[in-house]
Amino acid sequence: MPGFDFSNYNRNAALHARGVPLPKATSTGTTIVGCIFEGGVVIAADTRATSGPIVADKNCEKLHYISPNIWCAGAGTAADTEFTTALISSQLELHSLSTGRKPRVVTCMTMLKQHLFRYQGHIGAYLVVAGVDPTGTHLFTVHAHGSTDKLPYVTMGSGSLAAMSVFETQWKPQLTQDEAVALCSEAIQSGIFNDLGSGSNVDVAIITDKKTTLKRNYIKPNERVPKLKSYIFKRGTTAVLNEKIIRKEDLGNFVSVHELAVEETGDKMEVDA
Amino acid sequence: MEFGNSGCLSEDGIHVDMDRLKKGEVNLGTSIMAVTFKDGVILGADSRTTTGAYIANRVTDKLTRVNDTIWCCRSGSAADTQAVADIVQYQLGLFAMMNGKPPTTQTAVSIFQDICYANKDRLSAGLIVAGWDERHGGQVYSIPLGGSLHKQSYAIGGSGSTYIYGFCDANWKEGMEEEDAVNFVKEALKEAIKWDGSSGGVIRMVVLTEKGADRHLYLPDTEYQVRHE
Amino acid sequence: MTSIGTGYDLANSIFSPDGRNFQVEYAVKAVENGGTSIGIRCKDGVVLAVEKVVTSKLLKQGANKRIATVDRHLGVVYSGMIPDGRHFIDRARDESRSWRDTFKTPIPTADLASRMGGYMQAYTLYQSVRPFGITAIVGGFDSELEAAVDGVVGSGPSVGAGGKAAGKKYGGPFLYMIEPSGLYWGYYGAATGKGRQAAKAELEKLDLGSGALSLLDAVKEAARIIYVAHDDNKDKEFELEMSWISGADGPTKGLHQEVPKALREEAERLAKKSLEDEDDDDEKKEDDKMQE
Repeated sequence: MPGFDFSNYNRNAALHARGVPLPKATSTGTTIVGCIFEGGVVIAADTRATSGPIVADKNCEKLHYISPNIWCAGAGTAADTEFTTALISSQLELHSLSTGRKPRVVTCMTMLKQHLFRYQGHIGAYLVVAGVDPTGTHLFTVHAHGSTDKLPYVTMGSGSLAAMSVFETQWKPQLTQDEAVALCSEAIQSGIFNDLGSGSNVDVAIITDKKTTLKRNYIKPNERVPKLKSYIFKRGTTAVLNEKIIRKEDLGNFVSVHELAVEETGDKMEVDA
Repeated sequence: MEFGNSGCLSEDGIHVDMDRLKKGEVNLGTSIMAVTFKDGVILGADSRTTTGAYIANRVTDKLTRVNDTIWCCRSGSAADTQAVADIVQYQLGLFAMMNGKPPTTQTAVSIFQDICYANKDRLSAGLIVAGWDERHGGQVYSIPLGGSLHKQSYAIGGSGSTYIYGFCDANWKEGMEEEDAVNFVKEALKEAIKWDGSSGGVIRMVVLTEKGADRHLYLPDTEYQVRHE
Repeated sequence: MTSIGTGYDLANSIFSPDGRNFQVEYAVKAVENGGTSIGIRCKDGVVLAVEKVVTSKLLKQGANKRIATVDRHLGVVYSGMIPDGRHFIDRARDESRSWRDTFKTPIPTADLASRMGGYMQAYTLYQSVRPFGITAIVGGFDSELEAAVDGVVGSGPSVGAGGKAAGKKYGGPFLYMIEPSGLYWGYYGAATGKGRQAAKAELEKLDLGSGALSLLDAVKEAARIIYVAHDDNKDKEFELEMSWISGADGPTKGLHQEVPKALREEAERLAKKSLEDEDDDDEKKEDDKMQE
């Protein structure tokens, strides 16, 4: 039958009613941060993706491209942050082409908040929006329900408390670029080490009016070192008690084999008269 | 259950049912107010935004411009109130362009009320709208949860307001001078912040008069004594 | 009209080579055949009046009103094709209602005139429609008081709001006339229909711009002008229909209402008398001439 098949919906509803939990979407139990400095803005993220208690990806990318001068750090449901940023990035590029102007961070933020508000929080995207445009340097947070905040330094995700503690103790006005990068990576590391949902490496993006620099795996505090010993079992560790060789032609002695005649079904497709 | 359905005061008759907010939604557990005075109107608010027990923003600006001399104080869901204010700002901008003159406070509140009433099942927004226009002077309107509209000489709102009903009733005076009105708002908000756990941070104010909008900022570092910015 | 019959008068949305829209000009002709309508804006109100030509002795006297109330404070009178006028009024009522729905306040007269002007103009643009065969006169009194927002709970604080701009006045009486082209202007005195020339001449004598004329006098002048305008069309009988709008402190309390029967009859009596006096004067002059 053509169209959608909803039979699994009833099955899932019945299973759920008997106490089977619904499968969980991959959530980026995450630490993301952003910080404005003199002449630009830095955003940073950890690289752990989780699915319940399982680490689904040890080195995922949480810094999303919006436009050359605007980037987003995403927390929440991985698929939602990925697709929401991609959608807005696309719309913003078309908007920029039609107006003949560089995209603005407020435009991006407004489009994101209106999109997320329309879905009433069902799109689980929590974002840090940062960028430099002709009106200046901007840094926003956008929550899944569509609320936004504008602050000089921001944190989001499960590791936001750990990261915020770093900002609240070390942030000062008029940071230099290097200080801002150091502060942001410090904040992310605080998330990596103190929050179970965050881990692995630090990604950093630096946006100035001149250029954007993406530093993938800027810090790798969790590199796997070579094992001190080899744990490969030596050949012959398991004893061979007996051995029997069966050849193909003797296979019929152990299983029944039926040869199937190739049937012609239906008419052959006529290509041309 | 993900959504609350009562949206009513709890048994103690004081605390608003927070289940009305969707899970994980950013909330403005708030102290907001607006008062009329001799030359116009003053809006005031604390600056705390919470998600559950976490303060998501400690320097929030809950006083939102919808037109040069028409502003609103937002309480309830941050997302809902921002969305409503954005729509009204757009509508009033359009009104000003089409009619070649600024909208009156009355126009603003009627658009606010339309939205709040039509979507009352979907919104958790407690708004105080205040504005100045040359025909009507300063006016204060309150639009609580259900979307009704109340014209008041002063209005208080948000979770912190429950602690200052007595203070405001005892100290509010008709036709105050600007300095006295600023002090009244400041003292009231100081009390609200002191007693309400969901309110805190800095005190922000906007004074709307013939001269336009004048912003005030008071920090807890100086016991809210010194005006900054 | 030298270019008539060259095909440029067959449809809307086609200009003639010398830049005219003949359909609109023909609509004006339809208006010029209609009974005279006038409007007077004076210092404390607006008067609307219309010469209702009696087309049949079988019609009930005083029935089939020609002046319509569009909103509490707004009246409309028109000359030309009556069904077109009826539709115009339907639309004006819709516009007033939608303004109230959106802004919770009565529509200002100027805004109604603007919207209806736009509506009329739209009927000059398309092949599928013809222009309105009417010229409408819109009169209104925008409240000078502070109108409360509709839907506010309770009566609000008894105290006044602070910071009003001192010495400024708002609202007041307004009068607009909208033509088939969609053109509209604000007027002190407006006249349209068959007797418009005579009516305009009389209106100009009133010096309405100085704001000296009172509403009560304006009612009497309006009646007289309709009688004067009818004078060239003496063979046909007519009825006079009049409405007025005053401010909140005036006789209609800000509402658009029909002029009370007693006052209308008094105004008609004075109008007839004034005409008779004029005739006497004319005869006298002619007598003088004969003597010379």
